[in-house]
Order: sequence, then C-alpha cells, then structure tokens
Amino acid sequence: MEYTITSIAPIFLFPFTAFVLNAFFGRKLPREGDWLSVGAIFMSFVWACRIFSDFIFGKFSTDYYVHKVFNWIDLSFGEQIFKIDLGIYIDNMTAIMLLMVTGAATLIHLFSTWYMKGDEGGYGRFFIYLSLFTSAMLGLVLADNLLLLFIFWEIMGFCSYSLIGYYNKKERAGYASIKAFMTTRVGDVFLLLGILAIWSVVGNVNYVDIYSAISQGLFEGKVVLGISLATFAAFCVFMGTIGKSAQFPLQVWLPDAMMGPTPCSALIHAATMVAAGVYLSLRMYPLMQLGDITHFIAYIGAITAFGAATIALVQTDLKAVLAFSTISQLGYMVIGIGVGSYNAAFMHLITHAVFKACLFLSAGSVIHAVHTQEMPQMGGLRKKLPITFMCMMLCTLAIAGIPFFSGFVSKDRILGDALYWGLFSGQSKVHFLVPFLGFAGAFLTAFYMFRMMFLTFFGTPRDQHVYDHCHKETFSFNRNLPLIILATFTLGIFFSGSLTGQGIAKVFPKGGQEWFKILVEAPQVKKFESYTKEGFGFSDTRAEKSWEKAHYHHQSGYAGINPENEEGIHHAHVEGAIASIIIAFSGVFLAFLLYIRRTISPDKFVNPLRCWYEALRRKYYFDELYIDIFIKKVLLKFNEFLAFVDMGIYDRFAIDGWEKVNRVLFKASKWFDDVVVDSIAVDGTGTSINIFNLILRIVQSGKIQLYFFILLFVLAGYVWTLDIA
Amino acid sequence: MIPYIAYLGISAFLFIIGLAIMMSRKNIVAILLGIEFILNAAALNFVTYSKYSAHNLDGHIFALFIIVIAAAEAAVGLAIVIRYFQLKETVHIDEASELRN
Amino acid sequence: MFIWVLFLISALLILGTSVAALVTKNIMHSCIYLLGTLLGISGLYITLNADFVAVTQIMVYVGGIVILMLFAVMLTGGKEFVSKGQQLLGLAPLMGSKSTYVFGLFGALVFGGIFAKLISYIVKLPIDSTEQKIQSTVESIGKLLITDHVLAFELSSVLLLGALVGSAIIARPRRES
Repeated sequence: MEYTITSIAPIFLFPFTAFVLNAFFGRKLPREGDWLSVGAIFMSFVWACRIFSDFIFGKFSTDYYVHKVFNWIDLSFGEQIFKIDLGIYIDNMTAIMLLMVTGAATLIHLFSTWYMKGDEGGYGRFFIYLSLFTSAMLGLVLADNLLLLFIFWEIMGFCSYSLIGYYNKKERAGYASIKAFMTTRVGDVFLLLGILAIWSVVGNVNYVDIYSAISQGLFEGKVVLGISLATFAAFCVFMGTIGKSAQFPLQVWLPDAMMGPTPCSALIHAATMVAAGVYLSLRMYPLMQLGDITHFIAYIGAITAFGAATIALVQTDLKAVLAFSTISQLGYMVIGIGVGSYNAAFMHLITHAVFKACLFLSAGSVIHAVHTQEMPQMGGLRKKLPITFMCMMLCTLAIAGIPFFSGFVSKDRILGDALYWGLFSGQSKVHFLVPFLGFAGAFLTAFYMFRMMFLTFFGTPRDQHVYDHCHKETFSFNRNLPLIILATFTLGIFFSGSLTGQGIAKVFPKGGQEWFKILVEAPQVKKFESYTKEGFGFSDTRAEKSWEKAHYHHQSGYAGINPENEEGIHHAHVEGAIASIIIAFSGVFLAFLLYIRRTISPDKFVNPLRCWYEALRRKYYFDELYIDIFIKKVLLKFNEFLAFVDMGIYDRFAIDGWEKVNRVLFKASKWFDDVVVDSIAVDGTGTSINIFNLILRIVQSGKIQLYFFILLFVLAGYVWTLDIA
Repeated sequence: MIPYIAYLGISAFLFIIGLAIMMSRKNIVAILLGIEFILNAAALNFVTYSKYSAHNLDGHIFALFIIVIAAAEAAVGLAIVIRYFQLKETVHIDEASELRN
Repeated sequence: MFIWVLFLISALLILGTSVAALVTKNIMHSCIYLLGTLLGISGLYITLNADFVAVTQIMVYVGGIVILMLFAVMLTGGKEFVSKGQQLLGLAPLMGSKSTYVFGLFGALVFGGIFAKLISYIVKLPIDSTEQKIQSTVESIGKLLITDHVLAFELSSVLLLGALVGSAIIARPRRES
C-alpha cells in the first residue's frame, strides 16, 4: 500500500462519515443507522489490518516510520515564518494502536446493537456519538503533531461528556458528565500550556520536529517560571495524561463516568480514551526524560495503582469495581513510563484495552440480564449466564496476573522493570516504594477481581427475585461474539512467545518470538538529529527488517535503564515474575477463602479497620475534598473576592468613573452636534438644496417639449462657440 | 452637376421642420412624425457625403440602417402610444406624467 | 438634364410638403404631407446615384411607416390639442396655441443660423465633386452588407425581431383588473 495522506485518511473518514450521515439522516434510516456506524468502523478495521500487516509482517525495519504532511495554515510574511502543517505519522506503535482501537471499537459497536436495543429515543444518538468518538480516537492516533492531537483530544472530551450524560433523564448522569468534562478540562489546560511551551522552542509541534529539537539541544538553557522549560513542558504534557487517563489527583471523574451505558464505558473508559493519555505520554517520552520528571511520573503511577486498587476492595457496584480497576491498571502503565519501561507500558496499554473492554462488555451483559449493578443482589449467575461467565473469567484471570494470560505478561514486565529501577539501578533505595506499591496493588487486584467474580457468579443467589428474573443466556450473535473474540485475545500467546514476556520459559523452543517487545521501541531522538525541514513529506529509514538487530536487550534505546546492566534486568525479572505469580495466587486464594469457603468473614477485616473502611467507601474523601474544601472554601471564596473586585472596584471606579467622564464628553458632543452639525451643516445643506431647487424646478417641468427647446439652445451655443470658420 | 450644398440645405431645412413639429405639436403621434423628418434629414446627409466626399457606399449602408431603426422605432413608439391611449383615453403629451411623482 | 429636373421637382416637393406638414392643424393631413416629403427624398436619392436606398425608402417608409402612423392616428382619434392654459412660470409660451408656432419658428431660426454657420464652413472645404458614372449600387451594397457590415446587419435583424415582439406585447389589449 502506498502511504499517502489520501490512502490513510479513510481510516479516520469512515467513522466520521458515518457520524455525519447519522447525525443528519439517522432518524430516517432503518434501524436508526446503527449498521452504518458498525459498517464504517469495520471498514476502518480492514484498513488498519492492512497497515498492521504492512508494518508488522512487512519488510520495514523496526524504526521505520511514515510522516506525511500538508500545509494547513501559512501566515508566513517575509522572514517571519508561521506555518501549521497537519499530517500523519505512522510507525509500529501507530499500527498496533490502530488495530487495537478499530478492533475493539468494532466489537463494542456490535455489542451495542444488542445492549442498546429498545432504548427509547436514544438508540441512534448513541451510535452518532460512538462514531464521532471512534473517529476522533483514530485521528488522534494518526496525528503527526500535538496540535492535531489536541483537537481530537477535545473532540473525545466532548463525546465522553455526551456519552456519560447519555441517560439524560437521570440527574446524576448529567452531573457525572459535567464532572468528567470539567475535571479532564484541568488537564487539558495544562496540556495546551505544554504545547505552547514546546511551540515557543521548536516553532512547530510535530513529533519529528520535537525529537529533532531535543536531540539538537534546543531546549537547553531555556527557563520559565524559575524551572527549566523542558521540565515545565513535560510536566504540562503529563498533566494532560493525568486528566485524561484519570491519574491521581484527577482520578475522581472516572468512577462517576460509569453513569453512561456500559458499552460506552467499555469504549471510552477502558479501551480507547483513557489510553489516549498514556499514548500521549509515550509519544512525548523523550521530552519526559529531558524534563527529568520520570520519578514524578513513577510515583504518580504507583500512588494511583495502589490507591485505586484499595478503593476497589470495598465497592459493591459491579461497574465501580471495574472503574477503579481501570484507574489502577492505568497507574501501572504510568509506572511503566516513569521507570523507563516504554515497551512494557505500551504492551500493557494494548493488553489492558482488550481484557478491560471484554470485562465491561461482560458486565454489560450481566447488568442487562439482571437489571441491577449491585453485586449483593447477584450471586450464582454462573448457571444462568454461562458464556458471559466464561469470557469474564478469562479476562479476570488476565487482569489478576495469572500466568499464560496477557495481563500477566505485560504487568509482570512493568513490575520487573520497576523492581530493577527501584533496587538495582544504583539510585537511592527509597525508590523501592514504587515497585512495592506496584506489587501490593497487584495483590489487591487479584483479590478484588476474584471477589467480584465470586460475588457475581458463584455461591447461592442472594436475591431470589433478581435471580428468577434473569433469563437463561442463549448464544446470540451480537451479544456473545464480541465477548468470545475479546476473551480469546486475553491469552498471553498473542503477545509473547514466552511465559513471562521476558524470554524466560519460552513456549516455543526457538528464540525470537518476542515480537511485541521487538517491534516497539522508545523514540530514538539521536536518529532525528540530522533531520531537516526540507525533508517534509518524506519517509525515511526504509531498510530491510532485521530481527536480530532489534533484539530487546541490545537496543541502546532501552530507555531509562543502563544497557550495561542487562544481567541485572534479568535478575530483577526472574524475581519479579516469581513474586508476581505468588502474589497473584495468594490474592485469588484470599478471595476464595473469604467469599467461597467463608472460613474468614470479611467483617473480621472491616470491624477493626472501620475508619479505613469508611474512607475507602468514600473513595478517600476525594469528592468531599474537592467539593467541600477546594470548591466551596477556596474557589467560592476566590469567587467572592473576584466579585468584590468586579463590583466594588472595577464597577464603582472604572465603570462609574468612566460614565462621569462620558457624561461630560456627551454634553460637549451634544452641543457640537446640535449647533455645528445639525444647524449649520445638516440644515444648511438642506436649505441650500431647497434654494437651488426653487431655481432648477423651473426647467425641470416634465414637459418634454421644453426640454427640446433647451436642448436646441444648448446645441446652438455649443456650435456657435466652435472655432471652425 | 448639382451642387452638394443644395442637398445639405434641404437636409437642414428638413431637420428644422422636424424639430419645429416636435416642439409645437401636442399629439404624441405628431411628435413621432417629427422624428421621422429628422431621421430622414440625417439619412439624406449620409448619402450626400457618400457621393461627394467619400466615394464609397458606406453612407448608403448607414442610410439603410437608419431606415431600419426608424422602422423599429416607429413600431415600438406607436405601440406605446396605442397602449397609452387605451389606458388614458388621450394622447396629449403633457398628460403622460405618471413617472413624475 | 434629367437629373436636374428630378432634383428640382423633388426639392420643391420636399419644401412644400414639409412646411405644410408643420402648419396644418389636422394630424391626418400631416401624415399625408409626410408621405410627399418622403417621396421627394427618395427622388433626391436617385439624383445622388443611390438607387437601392431610394427604393428602400419608398418601400419601408411609404409602404410601412406612414401606413403605421395613419393607423395610429385613426386608432387614437387624430385629435389635435389646443392649449389647456398650462404656463411655465409665465415665461414660456403657451404650448399648443398659436404662439407655440411663433416659438417653434423662433427656435428654428436660431437653428437655421447655426446651420448657416456650419454650411459656410463646409462650402469652403475642398471637395472632389467630379461626375461619377451612374451605375447600380445593389450588388456592391449586398456585398458590403455581408462582409464589412455583417455584424450590424445581423444585429439589426435581432433588433427588428425584438421590436416586432415588443410592440406586439406592448399594444396587446389587457383587461383591467
């Protein structure tokens, strides 16, 4: 396939066209146009498959990329150059992201046709937003610069707002959508600041230019607000990630976002949108390194991963558990970015997208069947919903980090790298806190996920009415097929050729099947050093693919970790893998004891730790903190202060004073207007015209023969004055 | 050889007669009649100069076109007069003052 | 000699009928006098070696326009109007009364003076007035019309068509609503 903007654009344009058509004609179409959305996203999926096969199975080397631009705005004037180019940037990471987004979105669209069926007055609307959302995510992935990324980022913010508030008859859904929008907005503002900071240095915001600027050292020596500009920009960009990917301290919006329909939770809050934040951080990884905020990132990730996991322990709402697990898993990705485990973070992004989408869809299947989200009312649903149970079980195994599943591979690689980073990389041992929180979070993850499974599917029905009401599940195409496909891809074999993802305990005897690890590497800014702007619209580094060259440990770009310490990494990974397995099984076992065998009552933990239990139930009082303290005490006080400034100072002095000045000016101007302009100029003109009129109306009589007469005399006078004799 | 001044004199006389008719008559038809006089005076001048001065036939062509235009003008003008008469029951030139206010 | 006789007859015809057309009170008579004037002009055309123009003059003017005018006069009653006493600020003469003739003749005299000046100039111009051999101009005019003047020729056909349709539309009797 020839890679030009026009050949790539359909992948974005298919869903976008579906959005436009559905938005205008959806009501007139049969089935409110859902087939249009599903078909469009499936076409995008086919396109993404072509790109994927070209990049992954083609002849390109690992660092091959396609970068095509066209000029959008050109306000250059002489020496002043102000150009904004838009374009596409495709490398292996983009190809994998495209496949994940389109694949997951296709299945979620398909599932939505079952889940949303019979929804009064909103079925078509749901698919409109779904299409716009998917196209925005695809545009974001394809974008070659931060500005374009920001545009799609905001479109996704809007779609997220619309979908969370989808049940617009529920008041809480409306508040939840506002909360999500405003909270992510905090991060967006920072992201925009970061983009502007980058612009001020690079003069452009496309990735290649930024990498080039970093390698040429353009950021050095620039200071803003007393800190280095690189740090400022990196921090601002990472704040965007915090907002979008629901990291501490802006995680509060994601649990409330579960007010939306479950398929949209699967799409937005598991598979794609929250992934956009992590994707941004991965793209801007060299900037994070340059700005030296990787420790900050690692700690943010660790706090989020552990904190969200603890909150998930006590939730009784099925979707709330999944929401907090999403936040927790995103925290792992951020840990991965922080500790320099670029590839593993991206791998976890993909694996998490798959199993979390499946988990949400399964939860949707359960909720749709029993018409409640509260786990205490469920129980014993295994027999009623066998297919859903099987799919959800596979995904739970994956997220809990059980070997042979994708979650184990990716999470273990992050934790192994974190362990190495905390213990063996030669820095202060205090940073052991990060891997410790990570492992603790992994333990809690295994526990709460199986708690959820046990409460939902095992045991005896706790609410007989709900249980009886639930229909026995029979296989239906658009309900179960997405679940089965997604659940299949939770198997680790699709992502790694070995048990651990580290080349240890290989499944296949021959080496080299660690394809995921090889294919994606952190951006090598050195490569872009000689990059010049004359090369716009080109694609470079077209070379034959060599698998050996790109072997994981031999890459100099194994970012953040000194390549000399390969053995140390191995060491840490073996320990990490063993620890992960032990922790995961112990978590499952604890859940088994508590909720199946009931040898230990949960009350034993709850009663002595009553205050902690309450704190967890109230999500560490973050909502109260933000609303009662921050908004009511700080923002409202600030508001009052601003109101005082506005009313007391600005209004009274500036506006009223200006009014007094204006009154004087008005009187002068009125005099001038009345006397000079009106009396002399206007009336004088009128009077003079009247006088001329009195004269001219004598000849302007309307009698045509008089005109002839006048004409005659004029002609006579003219000829008489001619000097012809 | 007839002196060409004779033709020019007749032409000028015709023109003055036409102008006098246009100015003195109140009937619109009569005014159109005066215009015919004037047009003929002009055509006669063209033909005269064609013979005495230019020695080619362009003057004749002009005379022909003047006749054509006179025919068209007369047709349209008289149509307007008839229409006007249908509306106002008169063809007095000073009565045609609808556009005045 | 024939030319001279023809010229004199035509010139006298023109002078007589044109003055009559001016002074007669009856519009119908005016039209008849116009007929005489046009015939005289076509006679002058013959003396000017313009046979085609002369024939066209008779056919179009005498056969067409004068007849058209007669019809118009008959359709509109053929009334000549006397003054209704409309005065222009007391300065201009009464239109349509006897004084208008005085007025028109005064204007004509002014214009005659102008012409006298013009003619006095023209007479002084050297003009080659050698006798031309009398020959038919029809063929030459035909060639000129489809070569040099073809655009004007075609446009005049369009003009005539427009005038035909336009006058038909304008004069079409309409029911007052």
